[in-house]
Amino acid sequence: MIFEERQIEKNNFSSRAILLFGLVSIVFLAVLVKVFSLQISGYTEYQLAALKNKNYVVPIQALRGEIFDRKGRALVTNQPTFDLITRPNLILDIDSFLEEIQPVIFLSEAETSMYRKLQKEKAFVNKELVLKKDLSDEEIARFNVRSFNFKNAFIAKRYRRISDHPEIFSHVLGYTSRTEEDYISMPEIPRSHWKDTELTYAHGLVKGSTGLEETYNDHLSGRHGSRVYEMNAIGQFVKSISLTEPTKGSDLYTHLDIDAQKSAAEFLGNRKGAVVAIDLQSRGINVLYSSPTYSINKISNGMSEDDFETLINNSEKPFFNRALQGRYPPASTIKPAIGMYGLSHDIVNWNFEIKDPGFFTLPETGRVYRGWLKGGHGRVNMRKAILVSSNTYFFSLAYQADIKELSDHLYSLGFGQEVCFDCFDEDKAFVPTPEWKYSIMNAGWVKGDTVNLGIGQGYLVATPMQLANYASILATKGKILEPSLVASGNEEKFLKSWEDGGFDDSDWNKMHEALLGVVESDYGTARSIRNLKEFQVAGKSGTAELVGLDSKEAYQEVRTSELLRDHSIIIAFGPMPNPRYAVSVVIENGESGGAVAGPVAIEVLKSLLDE
Amino acid sequence: MNKRFQKIYFDPYLFFSIFLISTLGLFFLFSASNGDVSIVLKQLAYVVLGLVIMIFLSQPDPDIFRRMSGLFLIFSLFLLGITYLFGPEINGAQRWVRVGPISFQSSELLKLAVPIFLANFLFDKELPIQRKEITISLFIILCCFFLVYRQPDLGTALIVALSGLFVLFLSGLSWSFMGGSFVLLIISSPFIWNILLQPFQRQRIATFFSPESDPFGASWNIIQSKVAIGSGGLFGKGYGEGSQTQLNFLPETDTDFIFSVIGEEFGFLGVLLLLSIYLFILMRCFFLALSARDRFCRLVIGGLSLTFAANLIINLCMVVGLLPVVGMPLPFISKGGSSLISLFLAFGIIVSMGTHKKFLPQ
Repeated sequence: MIFEERQIEKNNFSSRAILLFGLVSIVFLAVLVKVFSLQISGYTEYQLAALKNKNYVVPIQALRGEIFDRKGRALVTNQPTFDLITRPNLILDIDSFLEEIQPVIFLSEAETSMYRKLQKEKAFVNKELVLKKDLSDEEIARFNVRSFNFKNAFIAKRYRRISDHPEIFSHVLGYTSRTEEDYISMPEIPRSHWKDTELTYAHGLVKGSTGLEETYNDHLSGRHGSRVYEMNAIGQFVKSISLTEPTKGSDLYTHLDIDAQKSAAEFLGNRKGAVVAIDLQSRGINVLYSSPTYSINKISNGMSEDDFETLINNSEKPFFNRALQGRYPPASTIKPAIGMYGLSHDIVNWNFEIKDPGFFTLPETGRVYRGWLKGGHGRVNMRKAILVSSNTYFFSLAYQADIKELSDHLYSLGFGQEVCFDCFDEDKAFVPTPEWKYSIMNAGWVKGDTVNLGIGQGYLVATPMQLANYASILATKGKILEPSLVASGNEEKFLKSWEDGGFDDSDWNKMHEALLGVVESDYGTARSIRNLKEFQVAGKSGTAELVGLDSKEAYQEVRTSELLRDHSIIIAFGPMPNPRYAVSVVIENGESGGAVAGPVAIEVLKSLLDE
Repeated sequence: MNKRFQKIYFDPYLFFSIFLISTLGLFFLFSASNGDVSIVLKQLAYVVLGLVIMIFLSQPDPDIFRRMSGLFLIFSLFLLGITYLFGPEINGAQRWVRVGPISFQSSELLKLAVPIFLANFLFDKELPIQRKEITISLFIILCCFFLVYRQPDLGTALIVALSGLFVLFLSGLSWSFMGGSFVLLIISSPFIWNILLQPFQRQRIATFFSPESDPFGASWNIIQSKVAIGSGGLFGKGYGEGSQTQLNFLPETDTDFIFSVIGEEFGFLGVLLLLSIYLFILMRCFFLALSARDRFCRLVIGGLSLTFAANLIINLCMVVGLLPVVGMPLPFISKGGSSLISLFLAFGIIVSMGTHKKFLPQ
């Protein structure tokens, strides 16, 4: 090539090389701009994405608060147990592992098969898996000596919710059960992570299901903590990065009294029934007992399905909380309320007397309503009618009552409505009205219905809780307390007064005197309990008839079937003249109120007063 | 002493920048391989060997390379043929040829042989290049492309084709011809898509255009790569501290995606430093090409350095999400002896072409 040609070629090459290297530089710049947009502009977004990749947050279960009685004695506590926990992802040969561990820790057939099943599901993540709960000291010692053989297993502390009085407080305390709803409380933790929760309770994530555990669940539940793990691409935990400790739930201080509750349980024995006692100063419920009962410890910490079925199907219905849900005719215990109605509505006064022949004849139909004493009580006024529990007196009083006014009066005393401030699943029971009867039975209200109401029979039903509340209104001469299991701190807020223009202080005094006489006088229907105590008690007993019968003879036949026998009821308060506690006792099929329910009420009052 | 031994052909700029970048590469590789010392030691051996080869290859006169170019191409094609017939199949591809204890990716040699051969073929042709020469050149390029493509190795095949096209372009291909080819390429693109591309390659291109369509499947790599680079920020997370790398969210950290590791652990500043070194190497090659003694040297330096640039750019664009994923290592840094040695071969030849000056006739 000649020189000029070479020069042309060189220039040609140079311009083309400049073009290509220029292009390369431009692409370099584009890459740099792109990297800039990723690292500088998009930093926050990508940093979050990287954290989301690697950070795996798991909840740490908080302990629930504990529950105490009014003297600070524990009702429910968290008690540590020691469980054998394995690392399933490290156990390659499950058969030989179980074979090796069998001589150290006894495992039942059910435990091994459950373990095998769970192992299969969870082996691929670093998750703990419980092999056996609640090891004995002996098992712990045996395992610790040989622990070097079992690098994939360890013993860890797990709590159980335990009551030292699991039977007698079962209904009022309630039990906890597994929950899958805790994720709502911590929206920052993805729901799928909850399966990896670091459990504190052997039974898993729990919430209150019944009783105080349910009513005060928010108070008792602590705040779960969390631990952030660094996780690699195949989902293995590499290490723990940060920890937020869980916060234990708040303790719950109740008005309940272990001694009084024990008395109630002891003296009720294995009879069916309920006892409720209320502190008239603090409005606290000291006793709330229902019999028969069951163990909350078993249910709260995982009960086998068979055991649970047995409990559910028990004909005595141990799950049924008779104190709050049992509907019983109040029987003669209603008479003071009827009396108050008669006095305040000027139907009678304290001196008004009738002649009690032992029965009342309804003028309209000529139907005869019998008293409990053949031949009657002779001349009776209000005081005597309450003392001797004259049916005739209250039949004739109720006969003159207006049913609308009477049912309003009963409502005002807490019947037919929830009276407890913080009870779980309280029943309203029932105060009948003409509207109700018409809508349900398609029949009009008749005078006879009102007459029956006069002695607490017929359609009227009340719960032991309502009876105790009613007793507390009588005892405080008209203060409506709204009884509560847990101290709220400002009790005045809840104080209301039962007011009725026609019923004044002297009426109250006379009423107290009459109710005192029921127990303390020689004629009182509950005089049999007079000598059981050192202090004076006022009250009113009742015998709720389950079968309407016209004669004693007929009842003797009915008696042979226990379930048809009358319920024994008493409301009482004391010590008089300045009562501190009110109590109601219902004993199903216990028959005579004063003699059967009375002693239980007295023992509960004694426990409460014995400080 | 003999005059021949008095002069050592050596370019300090290229030597030290390449030394620097391969040393940094070892350092990055240690972190990218999660601290695997054996990988780093092996790579170190290749780097040392490569530097020696580079110095050694810088010494012969360019004319020797020119005269050897045909033989070199035939030898490379021969190795490729051996690979095709006897090479072990790894991950569904035959890319390796084994000679005794040494395995070598035979296609790497073609990236050198094709541009040198074409430079030799074209350096004495008049401007503009005639149709006959163009046809022969394109035929050679296409043959080599298909041989590599059949392995299958689309990435390397593209580089081989580009290495030839660069020389063709630099030697004076007419603009009208290039315009016509471009139109032809556009028209034939459906054919390329349907027949030339394997299903997995089509998938890669599809995910490139909509990466969110399948975050855990095909586009996982590119998403994680972007997250790794992006989360590095300005200063990076620190050496060995990149969570995307160390916890294996990022795939292929020691090969194709090692740039993402650097981005994650050293941040924008680290990337800036790295790209500066690469750009410096390229600019030095550009300078050598312009000042080379004759047309052959110019074409070879231009072809080889632009091939290196294409290799680099495709890798960078791929990991930052500007191009679909194709298997392409980051030059001098990614793990792998074959590509490293072929790079040192290329730069040895470049130094030879750039430093030998023709003695003017007295």
